[in-house]
Amino acid sequence: MPDMETNDKLLKDFFSENKKEIADNGFSRRVIQNLPETADRSWIVWVFAAIGMAISIYLGLTSGLLEHAFSLLFKSVPYYYLLAGITCFPLLGTAGYYLSQNKQIAL
Amino acid sequence: MSSTDDIRWVTQVALLGDKNAFDKLTCKYQSPIRRFFLNLTAGDGPLSDDLAQETFIKAYLNITAFKGISGFSTWLYRIAYNVYYDSVRAQKKYADINEWEIDSQHQTQNEFSAEKMDIYRALKLLRKEEQTAVLLFYMEDKTHNEIAKIMNCPLGTVKTYILKGKERLTVYLTNAGYGN
Repeated sequence: MPDMETNDKLLKDFFSENKKEIADNGFSRRVIQNLPETADRSWIVWVFAAIGMAISIYLGLTSGLLEHAFSLLFKSVPYYYLLAGITCFPLLGTAGYYLSQNKQIAL
Repeated sequence: MSSTDDIRWVTQVALLGDKNAFDKLTCKYQSPIRRFFLNLTAGDGPLSDDLAQETFIKAYLNITAFKGISGFSTWLYRIAYNVYYDSVRAQKKYADINEWEIDSQHQTQNEFSAEKMDIYRALKLLRKEEQTAVLLFYMEDKTHNEIAKIMNCPLGTVKTYILKGKERLTVYLTNAGYGN
């Protein structure tokens, strides 16, 4: 009769020989498709973002930090740089959004 | 992908209902969960996929019940264990049908059948609880404590299941020519 250690090794070898990874083959996709619809709770992110922003603005205004930062910004950065930035941002944002949506549709 | 990733994805699912985060968890754990069911059902691929799908859906619906005390994997196996035993109980009414005969018919329909007949035959020698404990210990590398949590039974009972299962399997495997 083999000892316990030998038995253990025999079983470990046997099970590891039979241990195989199973390819997904669309299983995860089927699971996600069959998940029940739940309420969209992404608004929580916006609520916390708004609270965070409100606190930062309040602290910035009361400490004078914002005022100091803006005065520095307007003094050190040329006016046309700021104007170009403000004008380009929506254009670049829209272009980026359009490209990402197109990519998602293509997928 | 560490257990930190698991916690992050679980939090995203629990707080935001984020299906993409749950997809990542499903991709990570689909293989061990499906393999676990495949071995418990003696290689019945369609049935094990159905049970695995039910497991993931239950996990999604009850994800807020995950406290993070044990790992996500242990918690998922606990659900899988319950799903499997619910299915066994539901099949009890058809107990007069030869279970082994049905399993053997299904085995020919999946890709693992030929090479895995021995493991299915070996596991058939064990009681359901012993099968589960042995599979979790030797194939899924779970500790005794984790198995006790998964099977919701005392540590001593788990050790007894594994010991008894080991004895029977050793005799079977030695007679079948393994380890010579």
